[in-house]
Amino acid sequence: MSRKTERLVNLTIALLATKRYITKSEIFRTVDGYEGTDDSKERMFERDKDDLRNLGIEIEVGTFDPLFEDESGYRIKPENYQFQLGEVNAREITLLSLAAEAWRGASMGPSALSALNKLHAIGIESDTELLLDLAPAIIAQDANLTIAISAITSKTVLSFAYLNEDLQPQSRVLEPYAVTSRYGHWYVFGNDLDRKATRLFRLDRISGEFKLQGRSGTYEIPSDLDVNNAFAKSAELSTAILFLRDGRGLNLRSRGLQSASTNAPIGWQEFSVQYRDRERFVEEILWYGNDVIVSGPTDLRAEILSHLKAGVATYG
Amino acid sequence: MAKTQSTPVEKAARLLDLVPFISTHQGIALSELAEEFNLSENELLSDLNTLWMCGLPGYTPLELIDLEFESGYVSIRNAEVLQRVRLLTKQELVIILLGLDILRSSLDSERTDLQDAISGLTRKIKEIIGNIATASPIVDSTHRAIITQAIGSRMDLIVKYHSAIRDTVTERVITPLELSLDHGFEILNAYCQSAEGFRTFRLDNMRSVELAGSSVSVPEQGEITDYQWQLLIKSRFRTSSERFRSIYKARESTEGEQVSVNSFSQDWLLRNAMSTLASVEVQTPLSARTLIAQKCQQSLELYESWSFPK
Repeated sequence: MSRKTERLVNLTIALLATKRYITKSEIFRTVDGYEGTDDSKERMFERDKDDLRNLGIEIEVGTFDPLFEDESGYRIKPENYQFQLGEVNAREITLLSLAAEAWRGASMGPSALSALNKLHAIGIESDTELLLDLAPAIIAQDANLTIAISAITSKTVLSFAYLNEDLQPQSRVLEPYAVTSRYGHWYVFGNDLDRKATRLFRLDRISGEFKLQGRSGTYEIPSDLDVNNAFAKSAELSTAILFLRDGRGLNLRSRGLQSASTNAPIGWQEFSVQYRDRERFVEEILWYGNDVIVSGPTDLRAEILSHLKAGVATYG
Repeated sequence: MAKTQSTPVEKAARLLDLVPFISTHQGIALSELAEEFNLSENELLSDLNTLWMCGLPGYTPLELIDLEFESGYVSIRNAEVLQRVRLLTKQELVIILLGLDILRSSLDSERTDLQDAISGLTRKIKEIIGNIATASPIVDSTHRAIITQAIGSRMDLIVKYHSAIRDTVTERVITPLELSLDHGFEILNAYCQSAEGFRTFRLDNMRSVELAGSSVSVPEQGEITDYQWQLLIKSRFRTSSERFRSIYKARESTEGEQVSVNSFSQDWLLRNAMSTLASVEVQTPLSARTLIAQKCQQSLELYESWSFPK
């Protein structure tokens, strides 16, 4: 069981220590742990290379003499192995550690722990005074977030079932570009291969688990990616004129703009509020009951009225 | 402390990280090292015993990593090759990037020194992995820090709270009891001294949080009255379920769906029922149906008695 572990560590040491490329036969002869037939050594070595790559350790392939088709050799360049954020000071170490600690108890726990181990191994003490008044925490219990992040970093296509408004599962195939948290929910953004357009998916609306599909590195993530745009361009903005009762409709007040007009009755104020999703906006207005009244446009007022009349008919 | 057993690859990764850590913390106690790596002491000993068998080809004492830990304190020699701190994997960079986003938005805007340091780090990381992760936190990290401190030192808090159900902002003195999660939202269970009752507060609805005096005693928590409503969802199944925080799953039929929902707040249920007038019918209790009818009637009267600009 620990033979495999030993072999991976010994291979890393051998490839990291060498200044020149070393050949596969040299590796099999000198690195501890390669045993059995030539075929089984080959298979072992191929698996080991993949395992190290998954740990972020890149093995470089090269030849001794570029002029000849020589047997190729392997090495790990120290600059590709070591901590890549360069020189960091105590303040930066503190901020990086706090950022990783925010995941305590969340779905990315193991990655957060290994990141912290590395940051602490640098050997610079954190600036503890900085920590006192901050307790960042990331809320993410969804195992699909971990899969999404690993799919994005390895550029692997995801397939999954997404529940639509009728809760019917729809199968989707996505080249994932980014993850983002908004309004307390996690989203994955990417290129929907069937619909041939970029789309945004809320993780808690996915039925079951993400599945990785095919090989890694099969697509490119656009370099000018801006996830914030994905939220903004989902629908056109419309404007409604609302009457809000004194001190009520707090969320609408903070989002809207108070009008200068005197149309509103005494004890009420007129606000203009913008919205994108009509159905959601109607539901939001109804939430406030008789504290929020639609003045215009007429069709929006008519829609609210018809819901209220239907309500009286159903419940009255 | 006990966790699922790590795979050989995970263990190898940990060994590669143990070397630089021990190198910069020579003489660290076994217990402390185990805690840093979230291992039991036995798991750590097994790691160290494996590491002891590793080294440069040749594998004589000259090439092997030299570890000393029998004294209960760990030191390492002859491990120069692995002494460098390993690079952060892309996954680790993503989680740090998201963590930095959260940190940035909870910093006092006057701390430009920290803002700048975070921007610098974020830029470095994005150069490596691209702009593939962002986070906009809904909870202010300083609020969480004060609440944690208050729970730890048994202090009361003065909280300015925006209740979405009551549609008001009020200032209350509360005795914080515990932080937890409700449907993915962070909540604080507390005894509200102002209302003389146990209340649940969503952290993202707190406008300000300050420490007050030491906590006085909190009465025993009695039975919590819970309202249970029976609903028939007729359309907009996903939105309606999300509103009532009813757990949903994929469904075959397109027929209506009967669900039962609970809340300690009748007002919250009532407001949700108003929101979903077009897609949900509340079936029981009958008293709930009467309340909804009254609500609709009250709004209709306003619409009918006012004149609106054309």
